[in-house]
Amino acid sequence: MSTDDHALIGAWALDAVDPDERDRIQGHLDSCASCAQEADEMRETVARLADSTHADPPMRLRATVLARVHHTRQEAPATRAPEPERPDTRAARSRAARLSQRRGPRPAMGHRRLRLALGAAGLAVAAAFAGVFATWSLLPRTAPTESDRVSAVLAAPDAEVAFTGAEGGGSVTVISSAGLDQAVVVVSGLPDTGADRAYQVWAVEGATPVSAGVMNPGDSSATMLIDGTSGIEVIAVTEEPAGGSPTPTLPLVADVPLDA
Amino acid sequence: MFEQGAHTHRREDRPHLSAVSGIDPDTPESLLHRAALGDEDAFAMLYDRTAPRVYGLCLRIVRDPAQAEEVVQEAMVEVWRTATRFDERRGSAKAWITTIAHRKAVDRVRSAQAAGDRERRVAAESVEVEYDQVAEAAEGRLEHRQVRRCLKTLTELQRQAVTLAYYGGHTYGQVATLLDAPVPTVKSRIRDGLIKLRDCLEAAR
Repeated sequence: MSTDDHALIGAWALDAVDPDERDRIQGHLDSCASCAQEADEMRETVARLADSTHADPPMRLRATVLARVHHTRQEAPATRAPEPERPDTRAARSRAARLSQRRGPRPAMGHRRLRLALGAAGLAVAAAFAGVFATWSLLPRTAPTESDRVSAVLAAPDAEVAFTGAEGGGSVTVISSAGLDQAVVVVSGLPDTGADRAYQVWAVEGATPVSAGVMNPGDSSATMLIDGTSGIEVIAVTEEPAGGSPTPTLPLVADVPLDA
Repeated sequence: MFEQGAHTHRREDRPHLSAVSGIDPDTPESLLHRAALGDEDAFAMLYDRTAPRVYGLCLRIVRDPAQAEEVVQEAMVEVWRTATRFDERRGSAKAWITTIAHRKAVDRVRSAQAAGDRERRVAAESVEVEYDQVAEAAEGRLEHRQVRRCLKTLTELQRQAVTLAYYGGHTYGQVATLLDAPVPTVKSRIRDGLIKLRDCLEAAR
């Protein structure tokens, strides 16, 4: 082991090294058990620094994460049984695996449909949705009761979640309840449009797309409630000039099919 | 030494949702193990426990709420994907998850820097409010007070180096530039600072 690499364990534990050093230190730790233990302790200490950063995440994040998890295959456990490795601390994994980890998991692309139990926990934080509605320039109804109605959709026993990754990043999630005849559309992290463009959401019934709402210019995330979902086959998102268009401009940024 | 076990479990994040608090004796470690066996309900509970921590950390580092959400998505899916590789003997579930999230956030910030990201500069104007909210949400937590108190035991240079690296997402070389200090000095101050922090947090248990 080189003294130089060992001196970097602190910086490594803080993720304050460049990728080459990261690989080198992981190799070092792999060959030095006592160093690996020191590194584990450093990581444990460093993680405490996050104790001071708690913040309430948006409700839509939970639904999106759980929807993605449902379609993500888990890694096989480490084959060398007595030493299950810990991500980011072992060089034992293949370079290819490391690379794929650095890139992060592929977002589930294409159309996904699944049932998802949105239970009491979801209901409890649905109030967090209230602020989100300010981001919409056009709302199908007046604002005050939106939050309650979104909560009702999320808590509906027949709530179904459809999720699609958008070309270029971000995702669109639709949580719909046939019983309530309503759906919540969650647009998350789409590419930046610039201030003179905006995303527009469409409800497609048969061959006819009807505008469901236009996001504020430049916004890449938003949440909205759609009434009268029976008959809607697809929820689609397009990029339009600020203020929206009477008909969608192709190509679609994302489309989420719903079961009629 | 950091010993794992009851202490860690007692200090776990309080469930953030009143609807699930008090009815669930599971530790993050046991939830992670169940998630590793494909139990999505266990993962959902783990998400509820850890998401405020993970989101708050990502928000602190990337600053832009929309990007923070994306990073949390990536991190939590990674937690699910690699739950099979978690080893309780080597550290707590909370630290393991935090490590994954921090790495993702830092990678995002560095790639954004490389791309000369313009969106972040625009978003910076609206950041202060979010930042206050973050601080407020964390206020009053015992763990937070311990960390803050222990950070004060570090020398000024140690504290600045550690916090610029961790919350700022900077490399130690960048930290040296920011502090106008020699790179080897920063490298060793970071390590010394973390050792002091570790000993202080250990003593606070």
